[in-house]
This record gives sequence, structure tokens and C-alpha cells, in this order.
Amino acid sequence: MANDKSSMQLIARGILSENPIFKLALSMCPAVGISTTVINGLMLGVAVLFVQVFSSVTISLFKNKIHPRIRIPTYTLTIATWVTVIDLALAAYLPDAYAKMGIFVKLIVAFAIITMRLEMFACKESPNDSFWDGLGMGLGFLVGMVVIGFVRELLGSGAVLGYDLLGFKPLLFFILPSAGFFVVGLMMAFFNWIELAYKRAKGKI
Amino acid sequence: MKDILTIILRLTVTCILAAMVMGSAFIITNKAKKHNEHVNEQKVRYALLGYSAAKSIPDSMALHEMYRYIVTDKEGQSIGYLLPGKEGFYFLTLDMGGKVIDNQPVKIDEAAVLEKDLRDKAVQEIAGTGRSVTFADQTIVVTNNGERVAYLLDGKFTGFKTFIGVMLAVDPKFTILGLEILEHEEDPGLGAEIERNYFRNQFKGKTFEQLKDLDVVKEPLPDEYFQALEGNIEAADAAKILAKYGDRDIYALTGATISSRYVNTGVKGIVKKFAYRLNILDTALAERKIEVAF
Repeated sequence: MANDKSSMQLIARGILSENPIFKLALSMCPAVGISTTVINGLMLGVAVLFVQVFSSVTISLFKNKIHPRIRIPTYTLTIATWVTVIDLALAAYLPDAYAKMGIFVKLIVAFAIITMRLEMFACKESPNDSFWDGLGMGLGFLVGMVVIGFVRELLGSGAVLGYDLLGFKPLLFFILPSAGFFVVGLMMAFFNWIELAYKRAKGKI
Repeated sequence: MKDILTIILRLTVTCILAAMVMGSAFIITNKAKKHNEHVNEQKVRYALLGYSAAKSIPDSMALHEMYRYIVTDKEGQSIGYLLPGKEGFYFLTLDMGGKVIDNQPVKIDEAAVLEKDLRDKAVQEIAGTGRSVTFADQTIVVTNNGERVAYLLDGKFTGFKTFIGVMLAVDPKFTILGLEILEHEEDPGLGAEIERNYFRNQFKGKTFEQLKDLDVVKEPLPDEYFQALEGNIEAADAAKILAKYGDRDIYALTGATISSRYVNTGVKGIVKKFAYRLNILDTALAERKIEVAF
């Protein structure tokens, strides 16, 4: 089914029509807990991107060897392996990046979005398509996290990327984990509204 | 039945493959990782003493590591110190009243003493079979031309969520020279602000007397103080502002009063306990005329 899709379409699908956060509503709890600033969101997004791409390709390569009844444990093992390898490699060769990203990388083992992509896509499609799909999903997650981080950082601490923009803190509530759900909910409504408006304008509804 | 066997076989193979990948990644990266940790540790230490890549540490300065152990035997507990001597290392045991029990040379070289496993083994050998030793903490004594100029203290205390690991630099009169947060799991955006300069630097320059009743106040941090703590203004102006607020209590972080309190209590505890212990150790060293490297 996906063979007729180009790599660009696969990426666009991950970011827009099947965005992991705003459309699929997956991996909400780590996403909501971490996305207090743009930088935090970006770091977690990058970490997820790498693990997603590596795991998708690995599963896609071995898809014929995986027994259907033990696929979930196999996926979990694959993800855990890649998370460990990336964690070790970062700690060894990019210590400065690791100092900032270390805690995020370890969180990823429990991410629903990665397992879901392996189950829905990588175990059926070619490694090539899986790569682009993983990239798209990772980017979609990254974009979502950065947008949420932007809103929360601006409203919660009055800053963007650590630079004080407003000079005061409008609503401290936005830093707290529960506010993450409000932001995600409002964003979801906003994106759905845009989509509806776009479809109406095209006369599809 | 056949199904189960295949499942077992495949899962085993998957696990072995995953273990091999992770194991080889560990073996390949371990050396570089250790090296990085060591470099990072050194960087934190020098930063606390006011040195950086731009301003390197003078040759006359030396760092001496001193390790404290709890020695347990049938009669109770005593305190052991692994001390660097003029030549080689010593293991000095003191009873709870501060009296010297014994002082023995330890066969360990400068490189091995940095490795926790080797160090613990050597100390256990000295202590003998009847006594068990547990590592408690380590202190670094910084000397300049043989004079003690600072102590670097490792510490861990409870935070809002889990433990907060810190490193403190104090001068010989126990005035705080700097505070570095090494590890913590406080809430991002709230308690995690403890690692920001504007919070950490509030401890800088607090004397031992001030520390005794240092408190946390729930007041907004004045803007000029914030700018000075963050290092956003000229050094001369910043020094003036810092002097003005020098005798204030610690301003609590917005939305993280509990984390701020824990750090305050923890820092106070580390310095007070260290001052007490060092006094006992120095008395014992002077009494026995033990020559140490610092």
C-alpha cells in the first residue's frame, strides 16, 4: 500500500496528517512532563527521532524472522537496545550533548509512539519506506514538542529559548505538568479547526 | 508444543543478539566514557575554585583526595580516613571520641586510589577480616605552595523527588566559595532551577557564622541581584550588588520552595558536619605528629 508513496509523502504524513502528538495522541505522559521549554522539547524530539529511525529500520530488516506471537517483546528489546547504544555512544563521544540530552534518551524505552510505528508500519513495509516513515514520525513528534514547549515556556516563564522576552511570568501554572494537557488539548483543537477550515474552503465538506 | 519451542528459541536468540550489541557498544565506548567523566569531574572542581579553560590552575596548586570510611567491628563503629602522606597512603582509624586507634600504611599507588573498587579492596585488607569498611564520602583538600586554600566537599541529600548530589567548595574558614549541582531529578521548570546560577550563586560568600542560621525566604528576587548572580553585568558593579545582598537569606525559587529549602538544609548540613570532622581529624594528626600531604 505504501509502496506507491514517495519519501516526502511519508515524512509529511508524520508531521501533519498523522502527527504523533496532535493526531494520534500517543506518548502523552513523557511529552507533557518534559515539554516545559523549547530546548527540552527539542532535545527529547531529537532523541526520539534517532531511536525511531533506527528501530524502524531494524524491525523492517528482520520482519520475516519475527514470530508473530512474540513481536511486542521483540520490539521492546530492539528499542531498548538502540536506546542503550545511543546513550553509551553519546556519553562517550559527545559529552557536551550528553550532559543536556542524557536524561531524555533513557526515557524513550517506554514511548508508545515507537512501538506503535513498528507494529503499524515497519513490520509490513520495506526498510527504505520504514526509514522515511520513522523520520517523518520522529520529526512530527519533534515539531509537536517544540510547539508545546514554546507555548508553555512563553506563558509559564515569559521566555523563549531561555531569553527573557516578556520580563515577567504570566502564568506559572503552564510550567506544571497538568498544564501540558491543557496546551496539548488546545493545540489539538486548533489544528483540527485549521484542517476543517481548509477542507471547507476546498468544498470537500 | 512446536509453537512454544520456536517462540522460546526465537526469544532467546533475540535476547542474545540484543545483549551482544549492547555489550559490544559498552566495551567500545567504556574507555571514552570514563575519560569524559573524569574530565568533567576535573572541570567542575576547577570551576568551583574559580579556574576555567581560559584561566588555568597554577602549578603551585595541588589537589589531595581524602576518603572517609565507616569501620564496623564487634564493639561498634569507628571512622577511618584514607589519607595521602608525603610518600604513599595511610589509613587512620579514629574512635567516636576522636582518639586514634591505629595508623597503618596502605599499599596503593596514585592511579589505583582513584578507582573505587581497588581503593575499597586495599582498605578492607588493612582493616582485616574482623572489621568491615563502608565508603562514606570523599573530600579534596586544595593546597597552594603547601598551604591549605580550599576544600571540595562531595555531598548528597534528599530533594523534593529523589537525591540531590552536589559539590561544595569552602575556604579554610568554611566560607562557601561555590556550589555545583551534580545530579538531581527535580521538576523541570520548577525545582530544576536549582542548577541555575541565580540560585546557586546565592550561597557564594556565606560565612560559617551566617550559615548556622541561614534560612529560605519566600520573597521575589530583586532584579539587580538576579542580574548580578547570573553574571549579566560588569564584574565591578556585580561585586557591589552582591556585597549589598551578602547578608540576606536565600531567596526561594518561584514555585519550588521545598526544593530550595532542601538545598539550603543540605548545604548547611554538609558544611557543619565537615567542620566538625575536620577539627577532630586535625587534632588527631597533630597529636600523633602524622605527616600528610596537605
